[in-house]
Amino acid sequence: MLELILQALYSGLLAGGYYAMIALGLALVFGTMRIINLAHGELVLLAAYVAFEMERSFGWTPLASIPVALVVVGLTALVIYLLIGRIRQDRELNSLILTFGIAIVLTNLILMIWSADIRSTSNSWFMDGVVLGDTLFSMRGEVIFCVIGVLLLAATYWWLNHTWQGRALRAVASNRDAAKLMGVNPARIEALSFLVSGVLATFAGVAVYTASVVFPAVGHNLTIKAFVITVLAGMGSVPGVLLGAVLIGVGETLTTTLAKPSLQELTGMVIFLLILFLRPSGLFGRKGMVKK
Amino acid sequence: MTPLLEVSGLRAGYGQINVLWDVDLTVEEGKTTVIVGPNGAGKTTLLRTLMGLVYASAGSMTLHGQTLKGGKTWDIVERGMVMIPEGRMVFPDMSVLDNLMMGAYPRAGRADWETRLERVFAMFPRLKERRGQMAGLMSGGEAQMLAMGRGLMENPQVLLIDEPSLGLAPVIVDEIFTILADLKAQGLTIVLVEQNTSRALHLADHVYLMRSGKTILSQPAAEVDLGHLHDLYFARDGGSAAVG
Ligand SMILES: Nc1ncnc2c1ncn2[C@@H]1O[C@H](COP(=O)(O)OP(=O)(O)OP(=O)(O)O)[C@@H](O)[C@H]1O
Ligand SMILES: [Mg+2]
Repeated sequence: MLELILQALYSGLLAGGYYAMIALGLALVFGTMRIINLAHGELVLLAAYVAFEMERSFGWTPLASIPVALVVVGLTALVIYLLIGRIRQDRELNSLILTFGIAIVLTNLILMIWSADIRSTSNSWFMDGVVLGDTLFSMRGEVIFCVIGVLLLAATYWWLNHTWQGRALRAVASNRDAAKLMGVNPARIEALSFLVSGVLATFAGVAVYTASVVFPAVGHNLTIKAFVITVLAGMGSVPGVLLGAVLIGVGETLTTTLAKPSLQELTGMVIFLLILFLRPSGLFGRKGMVKK
Repeated sequence: MTPLLEVSGLRAGYGQINVLWDVDLTVEEGKTTVIVGPNGAGKTTLLRTLMGLVYASAGSMTLHGQTLKGGKTWDIVERGMVMIPEGRMVFPDMSVLDNLMMGAYPRAGRADWETRLERVFAMFPRLKERRGQMAGLMSGGEAQMLAMGRGLMENPQVLLIDEPSLGLAPVIVDEIFTILADLKAQGLTIVLVEQNTSRALHLADHVYLMRSGKTILSQPAAEVDLGHLHDLYFARDGGSAAVG
């Protein structure tokens, strides 16, 4: 039994790597634009299907399809950004309706092009087992993308703290007028946050395709998970996002092991409600951040 | 000589509500212009309109003879006009150093940020000590100094300062006015909004009094009679002897 639990913890930890990439993208856009992009999970899914198509048509490994996926997802993210830019009133609220609509369109496009079948990589190299300390089992793909996820998160963290654009992004998220007074054009920073969010979504999508399975409804689930993690993290703290992601990942695998796989999707919600009840401003949030 | 900053017939407000009614203002290069007036007179609105944060519905405003109307805040900053806003508006989740570096964000600033930082640290040694601290954890006086330092990192030609002494202890207010006097001595053009009338008058070359969205008095500082100013300020009738 202990072995099973350890195994669940380990698998959950690995899943946390790509959950964190997805959630951070959502959190960055929320930070700069005060918008929850409900089509974020579909961006992730799109990257997964690009990887699938490249593999099916040309036999590419998922890693090789990342540049193509970056272009496709980047352009789609840009279109979403431009559509949001056309909202003239009550952007916070109307963007929910808009991005929800975009999510439905994207899901159905994916359904049309790639059908409802469950897809996963057929590349056996990624599916080879990697055994840690004789007991903990995982696929090579899971480990690779968890490492990529953590590295990307660290890179984003560094970027936010040590570059002019990264600092400007934090400034816009903190106080828009003050950022303008520092010579920042917030529209540019918003576009940039969308782009970074797209890059993170791309890597996450290829990770999901390689380490797990995808079908058109997955996008929706991923958006919800990313939202839960972002709120847990207290909106916009990178370490918080990582911790929240691991928590959700581990919670899910533990549920599968100890209870039923069918309850897995519920776990995130339960953790979410518990933490909001006990710590209303999130794990890493400060008081007052919830109000915004 | 044409004035550095010239405003005439300016109208501005928030949505349907108009706040500024035909405001005129002239700021000479190298001079300190002080704007006083009671709460709600529209002083902050005037500064925000100059910076492009509030939409100007009528009138004209020029900097170096070129119009500011319709200008974007970030472009106006690059044109040399900088505002240190009411309530400081520091970025609370960012370190003191990161806040200061935001002041050097425009392209010209990035090339030159280290020199500017040294200058600001020389002026505000306390900011140097606290450079790693989160700005949100600073005291009111320190936050005001940070806001001023951050504004100076932008290397302004015209500095708009909105109520720097608000809510601060007298010692700190002294310190802030000393620094403003230094800046003035260095030749910086300053537009200072203050409720601390007598304090501000010492610094002023020219004084404006605003009430109900209008400039109702414009006088060289040397000619200002404090009693009369206070009467107008509090909308009292009668002469300058009526100070009670
Ligand atoms: N964001 C806003 N939306 C609507 N009305 C506003 C807004 N900000 C200020 N006002 C109104 O505009 C008028 C002028 O306000 P403003 O802040 O410019 O005055 P002020 O002279 O700076 O006052 P104080 O000395 O209290 O700072 C006030 O009646 C105020 O209620
Ligand atoms: Mg004011």
